[in-house]
Amino acid sequence: MPREAELSLNEREFLLQALRENVRLDGRPFDTFRNVELKFGEEYGVADVQLGKTRIVVRVSCDVTAPYPDRKFDGIFNITTEFSPMASPAFEVGRPNESEVILSRILEKAIRRSSALDTESLCIIAGQKCFAVRADIHVLDHDGGLVDAACIALIAALQHFRRPDVTVEGENVTVYSLREREPVPLAMLHHPLCVTFSYFHSGEVVLVDATLAEEQVRESEVIVTMNRHGEICQIAKYGGSPIDAVSLLTCTSSALGKVQALWKYIQEKLDEDAKKRDAGGLMAELSAENAR
Amino acid sequence: MAVPEATLSHLNRADGSATYSSNGYTVVGAVNGPIEVQRRDELPEEAAIEVNIRPAVGVGSTKERYLESILQSTLRRIILTHTFPRTLIQLTLQVVNTPAPFDCPFTSSPLPLLPALLETAMLALLSASLPLASTYTSVGLALAMPSPVKKKASLSATAIMPIDDKALEQASSIHVFAFTADGDLLVAESEGLFAPEYWEHAYDRALELCIGSKDGRAEGEMVVEGEPEDRNESQWLRSVMQEKAEQEQRWKT
Repeated sequence: MPREAELSLNEREFLLQALRENVRLDGRPFDTFRNVELKFGEEYGVADVQLGKTRIVVRVSCDVTAPYPDRKFDGIFNITTEFSPMASPAFEVGRPNESEVILSRILEKAIRRSSALDTESLCIIAGQKCFAVRADIHVLDHDGGLVDAACIALIAALQHFRRPDVTVEGENVTVYSLREREPVPLAMLHHPLCVTFSYFHSGEVVLVDATLAEEQVRESEVIVTMNRHGEICQIAKYGGSPIDAVSLLTCTSSALGKVQALWKYIQEKLDEDAKKRDAGGLMAELSAENAR
Repeated sequence: MAVPEATLSHLNRADGSATYSSNGYTVVGAVNGPIEVQRRDELPEEAAIEVNIRPAVGVGSTKERYLESILQSTLRRIILTHTFPRTLIQLTLQVVNTPAPFDCPFTSSPLPLLPALLETAMLALLSASLPLASTYTSVGLALAMPSPVKKKASLSATAIMPIDDKALEQASSIHVFAFTADGDLLVAESEGLFAPEYWEHAYDRALELCIGSKDGRAEGEMVVEGEPEDRNESQWLRSVMQEKAEQEQRWKT
């Protein structure tokens, strides 16, 4: 497998010099995201996110299985990230590289361990049957910012997904297909989103949403996961040069604005999609959802 | 049969890429090549071809490996591998969408997906501008035989239809064919219950769908357009490529 093409010394110096003069190669201000574009598929639970040139498709699906014996009241939720050579020839099939491991670990902590998805609501009969929800993350195009893009796609897909409706009579479980009964949305407790900060020039320059070229020359990164209420789910910093604590505080406060803007965008797109599906205006009658 | 849709060269990192959707199947394909090859895969006189198929849900299993082997051996005949000795041509096919599964004898069969994979591979290779011996087109057919199967059951009583949800429900066998631009048979995979005559019948129909009827096959002599029955796959492939070429030559005018 070929290695990821590294930036040449000239390109590296140029990029760093430009940053010192407060210019980014793509002309963005330091604290803005690239253009985010979110599309939903025909089916429930398919989200296609384009962040600049990075493109990620997330597909959420579910089936009925037996829960883990030590967690009888919980359903199962899994996130799979597997890179393919489509995103970059440096990604080898069946051999996860560093960025793949980091992405899956960050998402695991950001979404699963922050219990964004209420797994108890996936339980059908305690200890016997539950829903197993899985999210497959497909990276189609890689131009940096994988963590942020994957997180947006995953949250949007989970929020868009509908699981089939079930009824329980004693020991008998009936799972209704999408045609028989209006499917039910997942119970999401909150919506954490990730914002990555990249540090240059020993902490003097901080960038939001670095491109692949910027990622290759940065000194360190800090990933802040936060929901729109400003609750921090995780702060991850894997190695790199040290940064001071005050800078972390500015990170978290600027992350809040970004997360709120992103969530607003996701919500808008979800509403748009719901309106498109709700052609006859019958959705309110069909829905089996209880008011919380 | 619905007209398939294709988008070419829409990914930034890959050398060539294409999205193909038809009959509820959507596949994204990307080609990288010729690139550096690992020592263990290196072939001294030709380029190695690596095909990766990734399902929409879950990780690849034997079904994907089987499809990969079909594609790999097909593409070896199509790509002029000897022009790039000791390199690798890497094809990744990501299935994005499949029709919702329903009960039919061919639910777990890999074949309904195969035409979409073959077409995507072709489009991605064309987008990557790799030298090819020929183009090919592929079609999947479902045969519904009057049951029980009689040796002399009339061929006309057999319904032949392109593979889709409705056809699969009543199918007794499914067949996937691929033909080169000259009408030579490249891939023939079948599954289910059928007799040799039926296969030949399906073969004729597939050839017609891919290349056009035998009389109308001569260069420049296209069948009357407008009627959906006359549309064939190679004509479609040509129109897609024409569109792409026009797009790319825009700057000249």
